[in-house]
Amino acid sequence: MLKIEGLKKSYAGNDILKGISINVNKGDVISIIGPSGSGKTTLLRTITTLEEANGGHISFAGVDNDFQKLNGKDIHTIRRNIGFVFQNYNLFNNKTALQNITEGLIVARKVKKSEAEKIALKALERVGLTDRQNHYPSQLSGGQQQRVGIARAIALNPQVIFFDEPTSALDPELVGEVLKVMQDLANSGTTMVVVTHQMNFARDVSNRVIFMADGYIVEQGSPKKIFENPSEERTKTFLTDILANV
Amino acid sequence: MSLDTDFMVKVAYTAIHGVPVTLKIVLVALLISLPIGVLFALIRIYRIKVLEQFVKFYVSLIRGTPIIAQILIVYSAFPSLLNTIIGKAAFDINPIYYAYIVFTLNSIATLTEVFRSALQTVDKGQMEAGLMVGMKPRQTFWRIIFPQALISALPNIANATLYLIKNSSLAFIMSVKDITAIAKTEAAFNYNFLEAYLVVWVYYLIICYCAEVIFYLLERYFSKYRRPTKKTTGFNWLPFSIKQPEIEAKTDLTESERTNHAQN
Amino acid sequence: MENIKLIVNFLGQLLPAINITLIVSLSSIILGSLLGLLLAAARLSQSVILRVLAGIYVSVIRATPSIIMIFLVYYGMPLLFNGWFHTNIDGWNRMYFVIIALTLLFSAPVSEIMRSAYESISKGQMEAGLLVGMSPFQTFYRIILPQAFVVALPNFANSVVNLLKEGALTFTIGVVDMVSKAQMIVANNSGGYAWQTYCALALIYWVISLAIDKGVSLVEKSYQKKRKTIAV
Ligand SMILES: Nc1ncnc2c1ncn2[C@@H]1O[C@H](COP(=O)(O)OP(=O)(O)OP(=O)(O)O)[C@@H](O)[C@H]1O
Ligand SMILES: [Mg+2]
Repeated sequence: MLKIEGLKKSYAGNDILKGISINVNKGDVISIIGPSGSGKTTLLRTITTLEEANGGHISFAGVDNDFQKLNGKDIHTIRRNIGFVFQNYNLFNNKTALQNITEGLIVARKVKKSEAEKIALKALERVGLTDRQNHYPSQLSGGQQQRVGIARAIALNPQVIFFDEPTSALDPELVGEVLKVMQDLANSGTTMVVVTHQMNFARDVSNRVIFMADGYIVEQGSPKKIFENPSEERTKTFLTDILANV
Repeated sequence: MSLDTDFMVKVAYTAIHGVPVTLKIVLVALLISLPIGVLFALIRIYRIKVLEQFVKFYVSLIRGTPIIAQILIVYSAFPSLLNTIIGKAAFDINPIYYAYIVFTLNSIATLTEVFRSALQTVDKGQMEAGLMVGMKPRQTFWRIIFPQALISALPNIANATLYLIKNSSLAFIMSVKDITAIAKTEAAFNYNFLEAYLVVWVYYLIICYCAEVIFYLLERYFSKYRRPTKKTTGFNWLPFSIKQPEIEAKTDLTESERTNHAQN
Repeated sequence: MENIKLIVNFLGQLLPAINITLIVSLSSIILGSLLGLLLAAARLSQSVILRVLAGIYVSVIRATPSIIMIFLVYYGMPLLFNGWFHTNIDGWNRMYFVIIALTLLFSAPVSEIMRSAYESISKGQMEAGLLVGMSPFQTFYRIILPQAFVVALPNFANSVVNLLKEGALTFTIGVVDMVSKAQMIVANNSGGYAWQTYCALALIYWVISLAIDKGVSLVEKSYQKKRKTIAV
């Protein structure tokens, strides 16, 4: 469904992504793990063209083109079909929870306001925040903000939702509520690509785990394989280190 | 010493006719310079070639020179300039138009800096979130970024307005019949200048305090969504000078967005 | 080209009057800073009355046009002196009145700048200083003051530039400074070359403002360097 080939990205001569190929199928829940600075965020941001790629090919939602040849319409199509949940939520500060969700529907999708509100309420219900619909982001806890962020993404009914460390800005006691919502999404068949340091989530919820380091995909496979029987030395050290720290 | 209070009452009555003149100058200058200030701030933030240099130069020039020098230049250059275009009629123009020109030109510079720093306080994640729900850069800018920047700019817009109100007291130099000019004329008969200027002072205090109250109410009304931690009270005298803090302009959009944005 | 020559010529005629501008500005900066210091101390003091009075003063100044302040001082001070001290100060150099007016104007923003710089630094630092055994005065002088200076510098420079620009109103009470010199030149030319003359005038002020700015950023940079070397 989403196919990336040979994606490259560098900042000021530093190669951050050195040729990444990923294939996301419908219903996949993919966890991307890897050490800090390995390029996980950059990967999600280049695929969504929030950052310009320096090379590579994308076929997704009818777009079949080199990253560097994408035109405005392609970019729009790609973003339209990918939902994004940000590490620091990025809710629109001047909009209520409900408006955060309706904004994209009304402005970008040209959905009627009453219709948009219906969709938004349904999305809020899925993340358990119907009672907070008229709160501004500053009046919500981090966990609630992130759940609104998730509701905002699902309301647009994208083909796939990207999560960039959705729980890492949260206080530990708030992580659970967000993970719970994400687990429900996964169970209901939503296609998800999740950058995460939550190894439990990677192991228990996803159907594929990708281990990245230094701008490469070192290894990928089922959680069982990656966690119990990794074939690469780097994966082993990473997992030993991170699981030792839990 | 004693003040001629009868005379002060008399001046108060006559000078009040200058109040609408002052308000007119302030409002016209504000209404024209607000949108241009936004435009100039955008030129600086998005680093539009050539225009960016012009805006930098303009802001530095206006903020580095006394308003009185600007008044003298405009008041001496424009009539002859207009003369070559519309002929003798140029000299019959109501001088208030020159006041509009000077104070607008001046406010543009102040407000450019106000909006520039306000736009930079908006997190770039707001733009990205807008793009990721499918909005165009321009839509995101006007619906998400600009309203937030405008509200965080309010205290500084209030400062700029106060600055403008106070500067407008120099309009009398262009023979505009404002509060100061009327009081001055009244005082000239009996040399009661102190009394006259005390009255003028009170008028300016009232106008300035009214402006402050209006902005305070605006701020309170619009700040409903803001975090209580971000306190914006207290005076900020900063925007009145030529100093342009070289905050490395946060690239609010990636390169591709920027070009998209320019095309929209 | 013709115009540039004219402007350069006018520059030459205006520059001799710059000393008035400099004297007025420098005196007001010094006096205004002292008054500002007192005001800041008043606003930080324990006494409610002092705090309120200083607060009112600052907010009144904030709403007072410079030209009105200059006129009030110029016309009001002689009356005050006559009434209270029975001295005649009509013969004073008019520059003094401008200096007094600018001092009053300058002290308000400066007091705010000093106060906020002090507040931004003092909290933890004072305690830290006292903990390592310094006296309150030592802590203030050796720890807080240098840091507050760095915090206050850019804003202080802004206020100085404003003062410089407000000083251009000196001519309104008949002191022959650069502005009034420029007006004389224009009058001598029967109104000719007016905008060129005033451009020359503006140019002088612009250069001074830019120089102040440049100076401040140099000082700031040198402080940042110091910080870095300490940190390493
Ligand atoms: N805008 C940028 N300019 C320059 N370098 C950048 C930029 N963004 C990221 N980088 C660099 O790219 C590398 C990868 O960053 P990225 O944020 O993708 O890592 P990550 O895998 O998401 O790490 P983390 O787990 O800490 O979030 C880092 O070395 C970072 O310094
Ligand atoms: Mg990251």
